[in-house]
Amino acid sequence: MSKAILVKGGRVIDPASGHDAVADVIVVGGKFAGVGQFSERDVHKQFSHVIEVQTLDAGNLVVAPGLVDMRAHMGEPGHDSEESIAHGAEVAMRGGFTTVACLPDTEPALDNVAAALFVKRQSEKAGFAEVHPICALTKNREGKELTEIGQLIEAGAVAFGDEQRATDEPGGLLRGMRYAAMFDRVVIEYAQDPGLASGAMNAGYEATLAGLPGIPSVSEELAIARACMFAREAGCHYHAALLSTRNAVRAVKRAQKLGVSVTSEVCAHHLAFTDDVVRRAYDTHYKVFPPFRRSEDIGWLKRGLRENVISCITSGHRPVPPQEKELEFGRAPFGAVGLETTLGATITHIVNTAELSLSAALAKLTVNPARVLRLHDRKGAIADGLDGDLCIFDPAHEWAVTPEALSSHSKNSPFIGTKLQGRAKFVVTRGRVFDLA
Amino acid sequence: MPDSTVHTWTRKDLLGLEELDREEIEHILDTATGFKEISTRSIKKAPALRGKVVLNLFFEPSTRTKASFSLAAQRLSADLVDVVKESSSAVKGETLVDTGRNLEAMGVDIVVIRHQQAGAPALLGRNLDACVVNAGDGTHEHPTQGLLDIFTMREKFGDLTGKKIALVGDITHSRVARSNIWGLRKLGAEVGLVGPKTLIPSAFKDLGVNIHYNLDEVLDHYDVFNILRIQMERQNKGLFPSVREYHHLYGIDAGRLSRMKPDVVIMHPGPINRGIEISQEVADGKNSVVLRQVANGLAVRMAVLVLVQSAKERHGG
Repeated sequence: MSKAILVKGGRVIDPASGHDAVADVIVVGGKFAGVGQFSERDVHKQFSHVIEVQTLDAGNLVVAPGLVDMRAHMGEPGHDSEESIAHGAEVAMRGGFTTVACLPDTEPALDNVAAALFVKRQSEKAGFAEVHPICALTKNREGKELTEIGQLIEAGAVAFGDEQRATDEPGGLLRGMRYAAMFDRVVIEYAQDPGLASGAMNAGYEATLAGLPGIPSVSEELAIARACMFAREAGCHYHAALLSTRNAVRAVKRAQKLGVSVTSEVCAHHLAFTDDVVRRAYDTHYKVFPPFRRSEDIGWLKRGLRENVISCITSGHRPVPPQEKELEFGRAPFGAVGLETTLGATITHIVNTAELSLSAALAKLTVNPARVLRLHDRKGAIADGLDGDLCIFDPAHEWAVTPEALSSHSKNSPFIGTKLQGRAKFVVTRGRVFDLA
Repeated sequence: MPDSTVHTWTRKDLLGLEELDREEIEHILDTATGFKEISTRSIKKAPALRGKVVLNLFFEPSTRTKASFSLAAQRLSADLVDVVKESSSAVKGETLVDTGRNLEAMGVDIVVIRHQQAGAPALLGRNLDACVVNAGDGTHEHPTQGLLDIFTMREKFGDLTGKKIALVGDITHSRVARSNIWGLRKLGAEVGLVGPKTLIPSAFKDLGVNIHYNLDEVLDHYDVFNILRIQMERQNKGLFPSVREYHHLYGIDAGRLSRMKPDVVIMHPGPINRGIEISQEVADGKNSVVLRQVANGLAVRMAVLVLVQSAKERHGG
C-alpha cells in the first residue's frame, strides 16, 4: 500500500545522467520509480500496490533533483535563538534544498556520537529537508585529540572538519586527514590562515579608505596550499571550503593537476558582491567570512566553476540575529543567511550571465555536493531507487529579496534590496509535495 | 553669521570629507572664516544655536578635540552635555544605536561622536534624526581635523591648487591623514605621503598621491609638512623597529628643516611627541603653525555645528 507522486510535463534536468528534456517523473514510496511519459493509469498499472496517485503539473517549470547544501550553520545546539535545526530544515526546503549538511561549530561542538544523533533526530522530527551533521575532526575543534570518526560515521556524520579553529594546530589536521582517509570520508577545512585573517573586510584599497583592518587574500592561499599538501601526504580527500580569491582558485587548480584529491566550493554570495559595497554605509549585512573581494576575484571564481576546479556552490547560511548585526562594522559578527537565495543567486549570476548552462550549474547544487558528502547513492540525482527528492522551479521568475520574503528568523542577507531570478515553487521530499507559494 | 547664500548646505551629518565635493568643503571653510572673527571680540558669543543641545559622545580619550567642540558649542549659545564612555558599549550590553536613541529621546540636537570603530558615526547617523558629527572614527576619518588643517593652509596660501602638501608618519592608522588626503585632493593640492612601508598602504596610490619612503629626498619639494603623531603601540606590533630608528629616518629636526623651502609650513595635529616625530625647536619655531591650528579648530567646528543644524531644520527633521 503506497502513495505515488506523478510530476507531469516539466523540463527534467538531471545533471548526473545528462538528462535535459520534458518528461514526467514518478515517485513511489518516497523513491524515484521512473522518468518518461506516464499517465495516472500507467502508474496504477505499473505499481499495483499504489492506492493513490498525486499528480503535480510542472508545465513550464524545471524539475531538478532536490538541492544539496554542504555549508549551513544551524544555531543548534547552543544558539537556538539564531535558528533551530527544525526551523533551518524548513528554511532550507523553502530554498529548494532537500539535503543539508550542517557544520560542527555549535556549542558544544558536534564532536561526539550523541551530538550527531541529536542532529539526525531533530531533522527527522521536523520532516523537511534532511539535515546531516558534518562532525568535528578533533575534540572541541581544538586540533589535538581526534574525534571518534568511525563511530561518528555510523551515527550519521557525512564529513569532518574543525571550521577554522584547528588550523592553529596543523598537526591535528594532518593526523585527522590520515585517520579519516581510512573511512573514505572528506575533510572539509575553512580556507583561511587564522593568524593573518583577523580583519573585518577584504584587505586593499577599500579597506584602506574605510579604515577597517583587512583580511589579505594570501591568508586563504596559504591555508589551502597547506591543506592540499597535507591531503597529499595523508592520501585523504580534502574539500576546500569558501573559496573567495583568485589565488585560492589557482592553488586548488595546481593541487588537482598534481593529482591531489581535492575538491572545492564557492558560496553563492561571493559570486555577487565586491568589497566596495562595504564602504558605502558600513552595512554589516555585507560582513561575511571570507569577505567580499574584488571583481577580478569573482572572475576567477567563475572561471573555477567553468573549469570544474570548483565543483560545488553552497549557501554558507549563517543566521545572525538583528541586534548583533546592528553594531559597529568592526564589532558585528560575520555571516549571512543564504539557503533561500542560493538558487536565485546561482541562476542570476552564473546561468543568466552564460558562465554555465542551467544543467551544469545545477550539478554544483546537487550531484557534486552529494558525492563529496558520500550521499550520492541516495541523493543528488533523478534515478530509480534514489530518494525521490525534487526541486521544482521557474528559472525566469523574478523576485525581490525583502526581509518579508525570507522565512529565516534572521534577515541578515546581503541580497536584501536586490532582485533575483529563480525560486523553488514546489519541493518533493519524504514522499510529500510541499507547495511553497 | 557670514553670508552663505552661494551654496546651500544639505547634510545633517558630517561623517567624512570623502563624500563632500569641493564646493561643500569651501562652504565650510568660508563659514569658518566668519566665525574666526568672533574670537577677536570681547564678547565671544553668537546666538546661532541658542536653545539647542549639543552632546559630546566620546568613546575614546580626547583632550583638545572635545574641548574644542565644547567651546564651539558654548560660543554658539548651545547647551552642552558631555558623555564619556571609554568602556565599550558592547561590554556594557547596550548597543551604540540604543545609546544614541536614548540620548536623542532627551532632546539632543547634535551628537558629536568619537569612537574606536570605523563607521560608527555612519551607523548612528543612519539611525537618528539628530545631526551626527564625526569627531574621529577608528582609522577612518577625522573630518574637522582635516578641515582645520586645510583652513590653516588656506590662511597661508589662499588657493591650494598646485600646492604641495606632505603628510609624514603612520598613514595606515591615521584618520587625520585620510581626511587630509580627501580634502586636499578635492581642492587641487598635490599630496605626498612619507613614512615606512609598513605604515603606508600602497592602496593610497590609487587616490593619486605620491608615496615616499625616503624623507630626505623630498625635503625641498613640499610647501607644507603635516607631521602625524607616531603611536608607540605600533612598535609593539612590529610595524617599525624602534622609536630611535623612526626618529632617525623620519623625525623633523632643525637639520632637516634647514633643507626645506625657507617658508615651509610645519603642522602637527597633536598631541606632539616632542623629540620623536618633531624636535622641540621645530615645533616651537617660526615655521610652525601648530597653535594656530588649534585656534582655527574652534572656528571650523562652530561652522560645522551651525551648518548641520541648519540642514536638519531646513529638512524639517
